[in-house]
Amino acid sequence: MALADLWKRLTPFDRYLVLVLVLLVGASFLLPFSRRSGAEVIVDVQDRTVFTAPLDQARRFDIEGPLGMTQVEIDNGAVRMLSSPCPQKICIGLGKARRTGDLLACVPNRIVVRIEGDNEEAEYDLLSR
Amino acid sequence: MFGRPLFLVLLLILVALLVWLRQPAADSQISRTALVMGTLVEIKVYSDDRKHAELGIDVAFAEMTRLEQLFSTHIPTSEISLLSAAERSMTVSSETASLLRLGQEIARRSAGSFDMTLGALKDLWRIESENPRIPAESAIKAALIGIGPDALQIDGRQVRKRVSSLKIDLGGIAKGYAVDRAVEKLRQSGIRSAAVNAGGDIRLLGDRQEKPWRIGIQDPRQSGEIIATLNLKNHSVVTSGDYERYFEKDGVRYHHLFNPQTGQPARECQSVTVVAADVATADALATAAFVLGPQQGLVLLEQTENVEGLLVAADGQRLATRGLEGLLEWH
Repeated sequence: MALADLWKRLTPFDRYLVLVLVLLVGASFLLPFSRRSGAEVIVDVQDRTVFTAPLDQARRFDIEGPLGMTQVEIDNGAVRMLSSPCPQKICIGLGKARRTGDLLACVPNRIVVRIEGDNEEAEYDLLSR
Repeated sequence: MFGRPLFLVLLLILVALLVWLRQPAADSQISRTALVMGTLVEIKVYSDDRKHAELGIDVAFAEMTRLEQLFSTHIPTSEISLLSAAERSMTVSSETASLLRLGQEIARRSAGSFDMTLGALKDLWRIESENPRIPAESAIKAALIGIGPDALQIDGRQVRKRVSSLKIDLGGIAKGYAVDRAVEKLRQSGIRSAAVNAGGDIRLLGDRQEKPWRIGIQDPRQSGEIIATLNLKNHSVVTSGDYERYFEKDGVRYHHLFNPQTGQPARECQSVTVVAADVATADALATAAFVLGPQQGLVLLEQTENVEGLLVAADGQRLATRGLEGLLEWH
C-alpha cells in the first residue's frame, strides 16, 4: 500500500503532526455547529443588555426598568410582555415576537426585547405598524 | 519541511484553506436600537466599515434627540410647548417654521383632515395617559375652537395663532421629519445603504445589498401578522392605525387618530399605509387619509404626486393606489 509506505517513511514527529492536523480538520467541521446554538432573546434596559435566554426554553422573568418590573414570557418559540407598570400597556399589545430581528419595546420603562441568532427568517426586513 | 512527503505539505495547505473558509463572514449589517421621541427607533446600516457605520448611526440618533427637544409636547421648553403657551405669536427656528408650513400645506390639501392644532383635544382625551377618558361633548366643542388649516399664520419665522388657547401637537409629522433628518445624517456620513424605522415610520436609503427592502405591513387586527409586503428602495413608508394607542369602553375602541370635525376618533379605517419620498409627508398623509376614510383617503393619495398607499377599511376591505402594482404583495 502506497499510504502504508508513506506512513513508514514519516518520522515520529511527522506522524504526530499528521494526527494533530487531522484533528484540526475535524474540529473545523464542528465550528459552525457550535455557533448555530439557536435563537436568543436579548433584553436591554436603557441601552444595556441585562438578560439573554434561549428562545426555545419556556420561562417567565422580571426585568426592572425605571418605572418598575416588566414581566416577560418565553413560550412556544415566542416572546411577549406579560405585564408592565407603564401607563398604556402598548408593549403588551404588541403581542408576540418569534422571528430573528423582531423587536418589542416598552418605551416608558426603557426596555427593548429582541431576537437574535439562527431562527425562522422573517418574511420582511422592516415592519411598518 | 521540503524534505517531507508531498502529502504532508498538501495536508498543511488543506488545513490552512479549511480554517480560512470556516472564518465567520464579516457581517456587513449593523443594527442598533434606541428609545427616542417616545418610540423605539431601529437603524440598520449595510457597510463593510463597521466603525464608520457606527459613527454614522451615533450622529443619526443624536439628530433625532435634538429634534425631540425642539418638537416634543412633553418637554416644557421645546419650541412647540412654548408656542402652545404663547399668548398669540412667537418667533420660532427656521426648521420649526418649515415643518409647520409643510404640515399646513397637507392640512389644506386634505381639507383639514390632518391638523396640527389638536393639542387641547388630545389633552382632553388623555389617550396616552394611564387614565384615558371620554370627554363631555361641550368640552370637545371648546377644545376645537379656532383649530383648522388656517389656525396658524406663518410668516417667515413668525408664527401667529388665530386663538390664544390653541395648542400645537406635531404628533402626526414630527417623528417622520426626525426620521428624514436621521437618514440625511447617515447619507452625509457616506453611508449608502440603510433604513431607519421609528415605530413603523420607515425611511430607506438605497437598497438592501442590491435587492429591494421588504417592508411588512402590520395586520391591524392580528398582532404579529402582516397583511402585505412592499418591495422598495429609497422610499418612505408610514402606517397609521387604530390598534396601537387606544382604550376600550363598553365595547367601543377609542384611539388616538381624531377627526378634527367631530373631535372623536375617526371610525372609517383600521389602518392606512402611505409610501412617499419623505417620511414627514407620508406621516401626515397617512393621518389625513385615515381620517378621510377609505374612499376619500384613496382619492387623496391617488391625487398627490409621487405618493402611493394602501388602506384597510373599518370592515376589513383592502384598497391600494394603482401605482403600487408590482411593488405590493398581499398576504
